[in-house]
Amino acid sequence: MESNLILSSAPHIHTKDTSRRIMLDVIIALLPATVAAVVIFGAKALGIIAACVIAAVVSEAIFDLIVGKKQTVGDLSAVVTGLLLALNLSTNVAIWQCVVGSVFAIVVVKCLFGGLGKNFANPAITGRVFMLLAFSSVAGGANPVIVELTSTATPLELIAQQAENAPSLMELFLGLHGGAIGETCCLALLIGFAYLLVRKVIKWHVPVIFIATVFVCYLIATGDFTYALAEILAGGLFIGAIFMATDYVTSPITLKGKMVFALGCGLVTFVIRYFCAYPEGVSFSILAMNILTPYIEKWTANTPLGGSKNG
Amino acid sequence: MSLKKSISSLKLPHHKSTAAMAAEKIAPPSEVLLPMCMHSGHDAEPVVAVGDHVLIGQLVAREEGRNSSPVYASISGTVASIEDYTSETGRKTKAIRIVSDGKMEVSPEVKPPEVHDLDSFLAAVRDSGIVGLGGAAFPLWAKLDAIRRGPIKTVLINGAECEPFITSDHRTMVDHSDLIVKGVALLKEYLHSEKFILGIENNKPDAIAEMERVFAGDPSVEVKSLTSVYPQGAKQVLLYNAAGLVVGEGQRLASLGYIIINVTSLAKMAEYIETGMPLVERCITVDGSAVKEPKNLLVPIGTRISCLIDNVGGFSCEPGKVLFGGPMMGHAAYSLDQPVAKATNAILAFNKADSAALESTPCIHCGRCVENCPLGLNPTAYAKALDIDDEEERFAVLEKEKVSMCMECGSCSYVCPARRPLVQNNQKGKSFVRAYKAKLKEKEGGK
Repeated sequence: MESNLILSSAPHIHTKDTSRRIMLDVIIALLPATVAAVVIFGAKALGIIAACVIAAVVSEAIFDLIVGKKQTVGDLSAVVTGLLLALNLSTNVAIWQCVVGSVFAIVVVKCLFGGLGKNFANPAITGRVFMLLAFSSVAGGANPVIVELTSTATPLELIAQQAENAPSLMELFLGLHGGAIGETCCLALLIGFAYLLVRKVIKWHVPVIFIATVFVCYLIATGDFTYALAEILAGGLFIGAIFMATDYVTSPITLKGKMVFALGCGLVTFVIRYFCAYPEGVSFSILAMNILTPYIEKWTANTPLGGSKNG
Repeated sequence: MSLKKSISSLKLPHHKSTAAMAAEKIAPPSEVLLPMCMHSGHDAEPVVAVGDHVLIGQLVAREEGRNSSPVYASISGTVASIEDYTSETGRKTKAIRIVSDGKMEVSPEVKPPEVHDLDSFLAAVRDSGIVGLGGAAFPLWAKLDAIRRGPIKTVLINGAECEPFITSDHRTMVDHSDLIVKGVALLKEYLHSEKFILGIENNKPDAIAEMERVFAGDPSVEVKSLTSVYPQGAKQVLLYNAAGLVVGEGQRLASLGYIIINVTSLAKMAEYIETGMPLVERCITVDGSAVKEPKNLLVPIGTRISCLIDNVGGFSCEPGKVLFGGPMMGHAAYSLDQPVAKATNAILAFNKADSAALESTPCIHCGRCVENCPLGLNPTAYAKALDIDDEEERFAVLEKEKVSMCMECGSCSYVCPARRPLVQNNQKGKSFVRAYKAKLKEKEGGK
């Protein structure tokens, strides 16, 4: 019997949490926004979501097969990437474009860098930015199917133009306006946020600091409370702050670093939105901060208990 | 106090199912195997020969070299062999096998030592064979010897017992409170220590109550109830939470006028001074999912694991893994023939399902290891540093990231959702730094 004893080093017990479970939690947290996307934008939204998710998973599976790697689709991270990308696209996009964007996000941004955990930029965001540059139809504000709207401009464009038909705050909060399919319904995104907090997948700091920074900057710049509120409710700020700036892989590892990262995201978003011609800045801000992550990590390293500062 | 930064710690399942069970003395084992490395220092040196008849409490191996500790016969019988033995940590040593004569006869050598001053007190502690019984196995006399370099004002008595399952220190506090009182009195008399802080996790209310009762009239002893989190009993954590003290990197605790003593070590010390019976038996918790009737057993040191298992009704199912010590820091046994040592506070046996190896997946940079490290270290940095080919650079990064401060509590590995071998990386990093430093020293010496 002795020879059958298992030998391994301590610790001999582990938490139940696994990477797969964390990914599953993110998917569950995205479900309210996914449902809202389909309700608000109709069947086309469903098509986009299906195309992105399937393309992401299949391209990762094929990549693993070609390079002879152990199959990694089981970790569900490709599903998360596909779903996030889909929710960041508008219904103006063609299905084939979704597939191209998804494959780019998975293969170029993630797999070629060594797969999950090795990529320095968020695959979904980079995929979206790639599509913005490659296909002009991605970002435009397609109209929701459940409300009558005359303009195809996104609310951010309308707010920027100070248009008469800019949506009300309640419409912004519920997502009954043009935009990317998953970004408009703040309520659904907040439900997802609450779930992630309860499951301890993320902490509140990054989303709250990111959104608050944008809000405060607008409040200072314009002095208009309602305007600042409209700015944070419209566009991709909520989905970006809750689901993409909190991506483990591409954000700093310490809480201090994460907070600096979120502050930077908020500032860059404000600068792009307020000073540049481009009305949407969340994707670019997160991407920019992804690149700065290694430096933020260096600046915000913990000092160990009893450790001398410069050992 | 409440404004201070709190130390990261884990809420683990306690599994203290043996907490209410006083230690049961087991029937005399048919033989014992006494390894020469039951302490953290140099191996002890056998002083008996094959064929010698020995009695309980008789010296069978003397202290030899740095931080060594003597070994005494734990049963009466005949020395059957002095054989090669490999411990669960992979340490190779000699071991003395004694076959019982069934009489459990005590040696006439066992009589209370004469203690009248510091020197005779330290000599007695040295002869007792007592080592850190919480698992560290550092000889107690060597710890107390710090008095020669400066006063020991405060003694922290460690009754935290933060590892799941283990209740042997708990039982010491409940069943042998008189010995703890005597131990404190001895340290007061000979070390002139002024303050005693007894740190106990609050999942042992009966132990806290008993300690408060026996020390009610003694203002120098503070019984401190601590939250039941892991690793509450680790040196740095206990110091911080019970005494509000931070020991700096490379600083010796004793230089601050503090020492930490495990509560069972203290009780055993008092017992030795009182009776002269050296460390030959101890309380061991036998528990785990493969154990039929979990119990605390009073066991002669050197008893084989299989004999302990026989005393708890055997296995309830085929065991997957058997551990010396707790599930967070304990070592896996390679054979049920292995003997329990001085610092073995538990033997845990787990079923196959609980022992299954977990598959490691890529690091997703979630930061839980960093967040949960009691010392605020960064295990992911060590894992990356170990991949650096250039030794000089690897050394520089590991030193800068302070890998040597890691106390190997295992919290990082426990929380890792990707099941990365983090604490193992830390250990690798530590031993690399140690070896590299030694190499540097050698080079300098060679010049």
